[in-house]
Amino acid sequence: MKFLTSNFVMCAVKSCAGSDKSFPLHFSECKLELEEQDFNPDFIISMLERLNWDAVLSVAKDLGNTSLPVQKPENIEGNEVLLKDLHSLLLETQIVEGKMTCGNCQHIYYIKDSIANFLLPPHLAN
Amino acid sequence: MLPTPTIPSPDYERIYEPAEDSFLILDLFESQLSYFQSKRFSKKTPLVLEIGTGSGIITTFINKHILPNAIYVASDLNPYACKTALRTNKANASSINVDSIRCDLTTALLPNSVDLLVFNPPYVPAEFVPQVPETSEDEHTWVDIALNGGPEGMDVTNQLLQSLSDTLSVDGEAYILFCARNNPDTVAQNFMSNYPNFKVERVIHRKAGWEVLSIYRFLKLS
Repeated sequence: MKFLTSNFVMCAVKSCAGSDKSFPLHFSECKLELEEQDFNPDFIISMLERLNWDAVLSVAKDLGNTSLPVQKPENIEGNEVLLKDLHSLLLETQIVEGKMTCGNCQHIYYIKDSIANFLLPPHLAN
Repeated sequence: MLPTPTIPSPDYERIYEPAEDSFLILDLFESQLSYFQSKRFSKKTPLVLEIGTGSGIITTFINKHILPNAIYVASDLNPYACKTALRTNKANASSINVDSIRCDLTTALLPNSVDLLVFNPPYVPAEFVPQVPETSEDEHTWVDIALNGGPEGMDVTNQLLQSLSDTLSVDGEAYILFCARNNPDTVAQNFMSNYPNFKVERVIHRKAGWEVLSIYRFLKLS
């Protein structure tokens, strides 16, 4: 799972839908790999608009990265260093193995072989 | 004609092999190329969710030819499909913006976030919808899961329709494939009665062997 995807997924348990603790999920015991991708600054600049920055910070911290700016960066067209950092973090960082825990119901979702599994066991399925 | 993506070393014992229904979706997106290129989504970079991606041919085609600057989440119940979809995309298009997750319909997606949703559902009328296999002996079930949709072929699609309004962003839209036995006109009428904030219309249809397939656009207006 790409780091970026953590910005769009939440706990799949129906009763967690209204809780502000079900997003972002909390990452632990993660094995990371860098999967090289073509650098596309325009894509990063335009995508930044839709990201929940607090969720980016939270997941980055879970993964041991506390070097990001506290506020969502703006006007970064010329800031090659930051653009490259975001490229590497959001688009190249693969979570190969790991756990994602819901802050509301504490259900644990697993990432195996780079694929995050959001299927619920029958007793939790909606 | 835009080239159809190639699928590197597919295992059609465990994933759905692209067929007339898949190709109808590709043809629809090709015919709507200028519509999508001029469409204003709620965000500059749209989020595309494909449910039941299978081989990944549809996500790959849209990423390569229609909306190269979108973010893609290709989901499937089947882990082999997730891996295959990523491989197919990588063999044909940029992988900077594409990911795949195992997920049941829209259950793990943030509400009001999806700008474009594509679903080629298990639409074939069948006695029941198969359960997700738990052991490797049951793995032949994966292809049945991709096909069988309960008595009218609508069990899974109906479930998705219930969550559609909560999943799509404003101005977001879903493309869902039906066969004639799903009674799609009635489904569309009923959906618009229940959700007056949607406009639903048929955008393409085709006779394919003994089936008549159609795709409907569900546009969330507000």
